[in-house]
Amino acid sequence: MRSKLNNLLKQVEKPARYIGGEYNIAIKIPENVKTRFAFAFPDLYEIGMSYMGLQILYHNLNKEDDIYCERVFAPAVDMENLMRENDIPLFTLETKTPVKELDFFGFTLQYEMSFTNILNMLELAQIPLLSKDRTEEDPIIIAGGPCAYNPEPLADFIDIFMIGDGENSLPVLMKKYGEAKERGISKEEFYKEIAGDTGVYIPSFYNVTYNTDGTVKAYEKNYEGAPDSVERCIVEDIENIEFPTSPIVPIIETVHDRSVVETFRGCTRGCRFCQAGMIYRPVRERSKDKIMDLAMTQLANTGHEELSLLSLSTSDYSKFEPLAIELMQECKKRHVSLSLPSLRLDTFSFNVLEEIQGYKKSGLTFAPEAGTQRLRDVINKGITEKDIYDAVEQAIELGWKNIKLYFMIGLPTETYEDLDGIAEIARNIVGIHRKSGKGGRFNVTVSVSNFVPKPHTPFQWVRQDNTEDFTKKHNYLREKLNMKSVTFNYHDDAVSTYEAVFARGDRRLAKLLLEAHKQGCKLDSWSEHFDLAKWQKAIELSETDISFYTTRERSFDEVLPWDIVDSSVSKKFLMSEMKKAAEEKTTHDCRYGCVGCGINRRVECKLGGIYSE
Amino acid sequence: MSRYIIRFAKEGYMKYTSHLDMLRLFQRAFKRCDITMAHSQGFNPHPKMGFAQPLSLGYTAADEILEFETVEDFLPVDIKNAVSEIMPQGLIIKACSRLTDNVKSLAAIVDEAEYTVVFPVKANSADYAKILSDYLTQDSIKAYKRQKKTKKMVEVDIRSKIRNIQLIEGENLTLKLVLDCGSTSNLSPEQVISSLMEFANLGIERYDVEVERTKISFDRKLHI
Repeated sequence: MRSKLNNLLKQVEKPARYIGGEYNIAIKIPENVKTRFAFAFPDLYEIGMSYMGLQILYHNLNKEDDIYCERVFAPAVDMENLMRENDIPLFTLETKTPVKELDFFGFTLQYEMSFTNILNMLELAQIPLLSKDRTEEDPIIIAGGPCAYNPEPLADFIDIFMIGDGENSLPVLMKKYGEAKERGISKEEFYKEIAGDTGVYIPSFYNVTYNTDGTVKAYEKNYEGAPDSVERCIVEDIENIEFPTSPIVPIIETVHDRSVVETFRGCTRGCRFCQAGMIYRPVRERSKDKIMDLAMTQLANTGHEELSLLSLSTSDYSKFEPLAIELMQECKKRHVSLSLPSLRLDTFSFNVLEEIQGYKKSGLTFAPEAGTQRLRDVINKGITEKDIYDAVEQAIELGWKNIKLYFMIGLPTETYEDLDGIAEIARNIVGIHRKSGKGGRFNVTVSVSNFVPKPHTPFQWVRQDNTEDFTKKHNYLREKLNMKSVTFNYHDDAVSTYEAVFARGDRRLAKLLLEAHKQGCKLDSWSEHFDLAKWQKAIELSETDISFYTTRERSFDEVLPWDIVDSSVSKKFLMSEMKKAAEEKTTHDCRYGCVGCGINRRVECKLGGIYSE
Repeated sequence: MSRYIIRFAKEGYMKYTSHLDMLRLFQRAFKRCDITMAHSQGFNPHPKMGFAQPLSLGYTAADEILEFETVEDFLPVDIKNAVSEIMPQGLIIKACSRLTDNVKSLAAIVDEAEYTVVFPVKANSADYAKILSDYLTQDSIKAYKRQKKTKKMVEVDIRSKIRNIQLIEGENLTLKLVLDCGSTSNLSPEQVISSLMEFANLGIERYDVEVERTKISFDRKLHI
């Protein structure tokens, strides 16, 4: 296979995507481990290697002597075609072993539009797509990540889902498997042994029944030991959990290629559209000393020229100011550039940005998400126009020339007045620049994405705009934003519709996925590969009514396909947030007092109420 | 400031690492070893390091040369040991020495390069000695080259840039090419390979052919 592979690599673009051999990879003798795991990121190498979760799980699995975790990515189309022509099965980067020879093939589910890549990768690995068609010889297919919070569209393809934080639970599961393998038990018996473990969801242990209107009637267990609902795994103490200090350093350029330290997990702001803000509760921080230590060790072990912090909202770290000051000092000493994403733009942040960017100022980014205060109250996005304008004034004074604004359209209760508000904000910012008398080139970029309702959020019940609504709104905005110094960007409308279908889909979508795969849908997150005609054909052949999943409003008493997963945030809280949204009432950040989301029934909420009297 | 050169070999899958990726790889390797590069002046300072000659993607190499300048002074052997330890599989540091020559950059004085080319045809499947001598005694050797600006393929005569081609003992047809190389006159082995494959009617694809650069020479003796 190796000499065949050598020939293939000479014929493809960026062959280094497929060769492995980077700094800090795990090198083990496969015969000496009990469990071999292929960690699959269902997109191209450059995307997958920019994902910190891969590095975290790779590190946590490989620190165990009896587990070997290797990587595999979706090949680009040129490589895929050659692999098919030459009968080369999908292989791991580390040892070039065909994935089908390993014990586990594990997918991280980051984005709904990567689901077709999963089917394609299974096929390239020469593994039957459907769980029921696989034998004891095939690897166990496992998946986790944010999209696993609604596992149902993939339920027929995946054997085990792992819900929640994986850095402890995944190595534990692999060890259990290694031990079970030695006892020679079957896959089925193994699934039964682990069915009760926290975070484990075995879809084949449940039969789903439906009402005549197509909604879910019930989940009926066909194995008594399976739980009624699957609680997610939560790592309560992230301070003392392993975090990679020697991450893999890619050889080719990737989207993000830098040292990264996670400062905290979770978010207290409670934006009602945001899934991450709900499913990663409660907020759990690392200490400043730990963060400094991890950052400096990573820099020393990688030679990276850039350092960044990872969290849902950088400035919300409770010791952010001293941390930022210390990081700036240490990075300067080491000729390392510091990148701080999603800063809240107050005076301190401006000082920090002035220091770390100097004359090379990148754009300043704001995410008001909605054009009017009314709609921002509906979605509970606690940012006011005054916040934005004050910050912009300061930014222009300091020499910033590019302002980026992020909005969503199609939010619940949205009217054209809210769209006018988007144009109004852009116009006012251009006005502030004109008034400043600074002159010169100045640009406001308005990026608009389409709202996709996500499971486990207060908006999980709402209807989504259809593709035509989105197009109409984009056309309206394009006209409104046709002004000097303003650039307007927006997302593909049809993609947002398909994303929504799978985000809140059920098991019956397996048929659609299979058909889409048959039509050749893949790499759908890349606009040059997304093929609407193929998807429409697949919809037709699988007889799927997509409006059932997208534009239909659900009632509070409907059984939702993802109710099988318990995020530990109570459904009561999500309902009350939905009701408050309808009344245009906000909910405060829970650092100012508990808002009753229910997470503290399971784990201690250390930052809850820290700023309250 | 101290100047050094590193000589290294590039083997196996590492041949799929491009010129720019190799630069970044060495930059990070030095950073990991706490060897601080000297930087150019100006708004966009870049580390003072560079390869004597870029190597095409897909070629292995036996003796490539990287020159660089450090802020502090090190013993060459210490650099060699430190960098060797962290090289990925397939990159082998062969030597490190001081560059005392006051040449501005090695790239400016590269003059000639040698390559070993292996074709997947049996060495005794034809009279390749005769074919080779016929190939070389042509008045002109036509090859095609993509023009940088217009991206059009243009015909060029490469005969004068071929210094020597020799048959090398081996099971498969193996040639040693000695070609013009560098900023004054440069010939890519690709042009020789494609014209030769056509001339000798080898009936194979380019991707079946393996190329290794074995040597880079300068137009004068270096003080190192």
